[in-house]
Amino acid sequence: MLLSMFARSFLLQAGWNYERFQNLGFAFSLQPALEKAYPDKEARKAALLRHLEIFNTQPYMASFVLGNVASMEEKAAAEGGGEEALKRLPGVKQALASSFASIGDRIFWGRLKPMTTQICLLVWAACGFYGWLFTGMDAAPSAGVLLAGPLAGIAVYSVFSVYLRWTGLKAGYECGGCANCALDAANWPRLIRLLSAAGFAMSLAIVLLAFGLLAGFNCGACRPSDLALKLGLPLAVLALHRVMRALGRSVFFTAGLVLAVSVLVFSLLKMEPFKLYL
Amino acid sequence: MTAALKALISAALAGLLGLDSVQAGQFLLSRPAFVGPLLGWLNGCPVEGAKLGILLELLYIDFIPVGGVVPPNGTAAAAVGVLAHSAGGLAPSLAFFFGLAAGVLYAPLEYRLRAARSGLNALVEAQVAAGDFRLGRWLARAMLVENLALSGFALAGAGLAALVASVPWTARLYPGTDFAYSLMPWLGLSGLYFRFRTQVYKKG
Repeated sequence: MLLSMFARSFLLQAGWNYERFQNLGFAFSLQPALEKAYPDKEARKAALLRHLEIFNTQPYMASFVLGNVASMEEKAAAEGGGEEALKRLPGVKQALASSFASIGDRIFWGRLKPMTTQICLLVWAACGFYGWLFTGMDAAPSAGVLLAGPLAGIAVYSVFSVYLRWTGLKAGYECGGCANCALDAANWPRLIRLLSAAGFAMSLAIVLLAFGLLAGFNCGACRPSDLALKLGLPLAVLALHRVMRALGRSVFFTAGLVLAVSVLVFSLLKMEPFKLYL
Repeated sequence: MTAALKALISAALAGLLGLDSVQAGQFLLSRPAFVGPLLGWLNGCPVEGAKLGILLELLYIDFIPVGGVVPPNGTAAAAVGVLAHSAGGLAPSLAFFFGLAAGVLYAPLEYRLRAARSGLNALVEAQVAAGDFRLGRWLARAMLVENLALSGFALAGAGLAALVASVPWTARLYPGTDFAYSLMPWLGLSGLYFRFRTQVYKKG
């Protein structure tokens, strides 16, 4: 039953809608547990309709709630309807969904997801592919190298997310019934701090590597004043991005601004194109 | 294989991978960093696909899909970007900005698709109340619609890119777009750096 729920949980958001968010996917994922708990069709119908109500949480962390609710439904069924347990169910479900959404958003969207990009960049750099930094550079790495970068990040991310989905389902099922069920399954604040530190270290390494490569490729190939300009321009872009962020503008606005100025200067006013590299 | 057929297969694949972003799996197979080189490889330009993909990824990292927010769609951006170059004939630099805009333009469409799915609730409830517990087919239908929408959007983007490429003055833009494109890695790295810096050095 847990395996079937685990497999179905990958479709949690398949029917995501603005009225009740993940309700369709949640009910679909819970179905194996309801079939086990309620052999009677009418009771099963009532249970399924209960879980078509509003539900929303972070998708990877939903398994904690799913396991808990499955356990509560089983206990309610064993008590022959268990009105008391069923009365508490919506509150427990909502409380856990909110708590795990907050934790999951920080871990996955805020940290692990950008880290997959960092892993990709580091793998490419280790394989000698710098096209991600020098857009005009001619390079011919194999398709294997080009796919290895993103796949390495995806592998790290997926191992963690799938592991958490499975352990969350089991932990929720084992301690089902209370509003703080499995919230102590890991030291979440410590994990979040660790991921932040690791992400920052990798960011710093990548930015230093980028400036190092820029200096290395241009050093000796141009005059010192040109080299200063070539190093200064990326710094200006970093500063521009920072200022725009402070002004509440998205990165797309900054990209659009850079594009507009570039087209004006080099395409319309026809100034001599300036190349950052080589 | 003709370019049109390759574009068709690529668009269908993009639609399939796009499901991973919200509806199925969420293994990050829908991210531009993966979609870019994959579609580039399919269309004979893996390096340009990888560059487009990772640069789009770096800029799209700024957006987080929390609380039902529909961020710009990275899969649509990468698919349109790669197809604008390979099938549409635009230079990589202009194809990149084309893809960037496409991802932003796809978000309202995605929003409408999600809103339209609200109508499923009453239908599913009625079906369950009638004793039919098969929920899977509704989920499959929702995914099929999303898949077709993204595939169609990618193909339309490639067609529009081909139209833009056929305009004589488009080539005049390339010195400017090439320069702006060369600065995009730095803009992306800046986003990546400050995202984690803010987390580590929080005020207070």
